[in-house]
Amino acid sequence: MNVLVVYCHPDPESFIAAARCVVVDTLKRGGHEVRVEDLYADGFQPAMSADERLTHREPGVAAELQHYADDLRWCEAIVLVYPTWWSGLPAMLKGWVDRVWARGIAWDLPAGASTVRGRLRNVRRLAIVTSHGSSRWVNWLEGQCGRFSVMRGLRVLCHPLTRTSFLAIYAMDSNGHDDRRRFLDHVERRFISW
Amino acid sequence: MKALVVVAHPVRESLTHNAARAAVEGLTTAGHDVVLLDLYGEGFSAAMSPAERAAYHTDEPLIAHDAIRAAELVRSSQILVFVYPTWWSDVPAIMRAFFERVFIPTVAFELVPGATKVQPAMQHVRHIVGISIYGSPWVYVWTIRDSGRRMITRALRLCTGRKTRTTWLALYHIERADAPVRSAFLERVEASMAALS
Repeated sequence: MNVLVVYCHPDPESFIAAARCVVVDTLKRGGHEVRVEDLYADGFQPAMSADERLTHREPGVAAELQHYADDLRWCEAIVLVYPTWWSGLPAMLKGWVDRVWARGIAWDLPAGASTVRGRLRNVRRLAIVTSHGSSRWVNWLEGQCGRFSVMRGLRVLCHPLTRTSFLAIYAMDSNGHDDRRRFLDHVERRFISW
Repeated sequence: MKALVVVAHPVRESLTHNAARAAVEGLTTAGHDVVLLDLYGEGFSAAMSPAERAAYHTDEPLIAHDAIRAAELVRSSQILVFVYPTWWSDVPAIMRAFFERVFIPTVAFELVPGATKVQPAMQHVRHIVGISIYGSPWVYVWTIRDSGRRMITRALRLCTGRKTRTTWLALYHIERADAPVRSAFLERVEASMAALS
């Protein structure tokens, strides 16, 4: 399977960086074709420009983003690896969605339709691997923004039978080495079965 | 009261910017002292940098000029107003960057060693207002969940005092909204902000 791993963390020494290594190594061992996008290392510019906004009804992306769009059309599975900040995606990752999931790539709007039609029928699996500073119930209280914006908002643009996996570790501000080790083992077990 | 209006849209002539101007008018009419912060106009940095991440858990987590200035404005405000277009059921990336770079320990909350919940640090905030324009009809927004609204009215609300009130002003299905609907929305924003006391 062609798997696109989108990784987003400013610190290459972070726990999320370790999770990314586990995801990528496990998928490669399973014989999958893996492409990794490291948004911070790429120097991705997350803010949509005025020009992009004014032409967002026309198909396609800015020239410098073409390879991200190609990856989105190429893959059969997407794995997002990021820290949950303010209950959702980091700005860098949200910018990737704002700018790359463009008309003609991820969606179309036929004349007369009131909502967008998904174009990513090539995507059949969608996974999130993420960490939360606060506990599970605080995140529930906050509304689980990242989980819903991906598993509902973006999933509707993928294949109708797309399967989803949400792998999350909570209470990073207080948990210990064992909890983290256990989570990485859990991630490995989940991706080995892909 | 002092009010901070934060607007995030790359196009100055957009309905979002008009809504921000209407909010400023209304708040000024009500006698509040208003500052408008245009994230695109100010060239606000749209992602937390590696240096900011490294400083996050230190005693001085604010290190960038744009974030320091924004944090000063937040600390002196009793009314926080967020004006943005909803993209992919969430705030635009640059508005997310405002949250992750400005609403940090010492400004929005305090991290207590060993605790799973942060302590609120924005008891000075009396009102939180969200003003957003959506491409989709409200039924669709409701079905996929409104992450931007949830972040502002729930996650941010947890960092303020118990009596803080929240107000939400939305214009759904902008594709079908003609000129009279748009101007009625701007009037609603101005009237609602003029009534904020």
